[in-house]
Amino acid sequence: MEKVKILGICCNWTPFACFNAAGMAHLQMPPNFRLVRVMCIGRINQALILRAFEHGADGVILLQCRDEDCRYGPGPEVGHVNVDRVRRILSIMGIGQKRLVEKSFAAHEKSELVDALWEFSEEIEKLGPNPAKPRQEMEAS
Amino acid sequence: MDDQTIDRILKKHNLYQCLECGKCSASCPRMLTGKEYSPRLLAQKLIEERDDEAFIESSVWECLTCGLCSERCPSAIQFTNFILEMRTILAAEKGMKGCRAHDGAIHSWIRMMTSPDIKQNRLEWLTPELKTTSSGPVAYFVGCAAYFDVFFAGIEVDTLSIARDSIRLLNFLDIEPALLENERCCGHDLLWTGDRENFETLCRQNYEEFKKAGISEIVVSCPECYQVLGHYMPEVVPEFDIKVTLLLTKLETEIKKGGIGFKPQPDKVTYQDPCRLGRMAGVYDTPRNLIEQVPELSLKEMESYGRSALCCGNSAFINCDHYSKLVQVERLKQARATKARTLLTACPKCMIHLTCAMRDPFRKGPLALEIKDIVSVLADSIEWTG
Repeated sequence: MEKVKILGICCNWTPFACFNAAGMAHLQMPPNFRLVRVMCIGRINQALILRAFEHGADGVILLQCRDEDCRYGPGPEVGHVNVDRVRRILSIMGIGQKRLVEKSFAAHEKSELVDALWEFSEEIEKLGPNPAKPRQEMEAS
Repeated sequence: MDDQTIDRILKKHNLYQCLECGKCSASCPRMLTGKEYSPRLLAQKLIEERDDEAFIESSVWECLTCGLCSERCPSAIQFTNFILEMRTILAAEKGMKGCRAHDGAIHSWIRMMTSPDIKQNRLEWLTPELKTTSSGPVAYFVGCAAYFDVFFAGIEVDTLSIARDSIRLLNFLDIEPALLENERCCGHDLLWTGDRENFETLCRQNYEEFKKAGISEIVVSCPECYQVLGHYMPEVVPEFDIKVTLLLTKLETEIKKGGIGFKPQPDKVTYQDPCRLGRMAGVYDTPRNLIEQVPELSLKEMESYGRSALCCGNSAFINCDHYSKLVQVERLKQARATKARTLLTACPKCMIHLTCAMRDPFRKGPLALEIKDIVSVLADSIEWTG
């Protein structure tokens, strides 16, 4: 299996609580997974998702609260719009829409979060490395 | 930057010929909208006070590269070329990239296109009535329209219509252009933000794609692509032997042969000269001649037009700030003052930037007017008369 890199962009509130609880419960996480913690998925725009791919991510997963649970209001809705647009750009570029997903969680869903990460990791491993890596990133990895 | 490099650039671009008359500052759209920005002062600092790096760097990156100052300069200093070279050096030495608009999304996807292995699906917008091929002697360079169409969906700007209408025009002229599935961005925005390395990669990749498809002539509708393919690409690829034609020029030549007319289009329009087409490529008359050919389409010029045309407020998607917005508002006010119903432009970027300014919720009413690319108007009304 090829070594792939997966980036999780995680909301500080519900999903991070799940992530934390999963860590406390010693649940096994995918080894090729890195996490960036943000205050809200509403902070993430199209550019930041694209930049993850530009800098060599093979898959990006947005971990967010459920629409009704957002601490700030419209966070997850902003996430939906951005994911939708970036997926279309990824499709035009030939990277493929499957490399970007968003998942919502409630506060008790630690094992669901870990399952989602494993599922995504296996999916990306099946797809292999992202074909649109600038040469500089390929040399670095 | 060491002194020798600066000396060399100053000499190369004739900056020692500066008379300190200040016409550049007085004509600069940045200055006119109230920003303290002065090309003259930048020249002076580079000659007399090189320690002020903060000033020099911010001045180099804040230029709109619209070229209006060079138009006015009595010493004919090509300030934009100078800025381009300074940016390339600052980017290489200090990793500077300017303050990117849209958080750098556009630059990200352009940089991703330098990857050798991508297989794009960039032609899904093609409809059956548009006749195209995948190889052949004449190609149409689409540019970033498909990407802009998704990214700028929020401001409802239809840049793909320019590509569709360009192909309709070429089909009308009995040309079935080759469209390349794996064409890359021309790299204009990387070039003007100093990323020379990736820009050159894109040039070489595009040249390979052209050669693979057996292309000997490329028709472009976007002025930025026209400037890059026609001027900068041959610098990077010395063996470049492909003819680059601007769609508008091609149309003008074909119309001169006779037999082509236009259906009447009762409308009052005004025309925005894109900087890359006007001041950089010197194409002022062609779009005007074409507008003139359409019966009942009357062109009213704005207060500043042609060589003096005002910038659309932004270039290469950097430095989009409050002052950019003011430039756009000023330009739209000029357009509205002509009493024209439609603002014609020839550049998708002008279209994007001016549409964005029109959508300002506080100014929507007094600024909004229809904005169209000139090829769309021509494609709607062209007909055979012979």
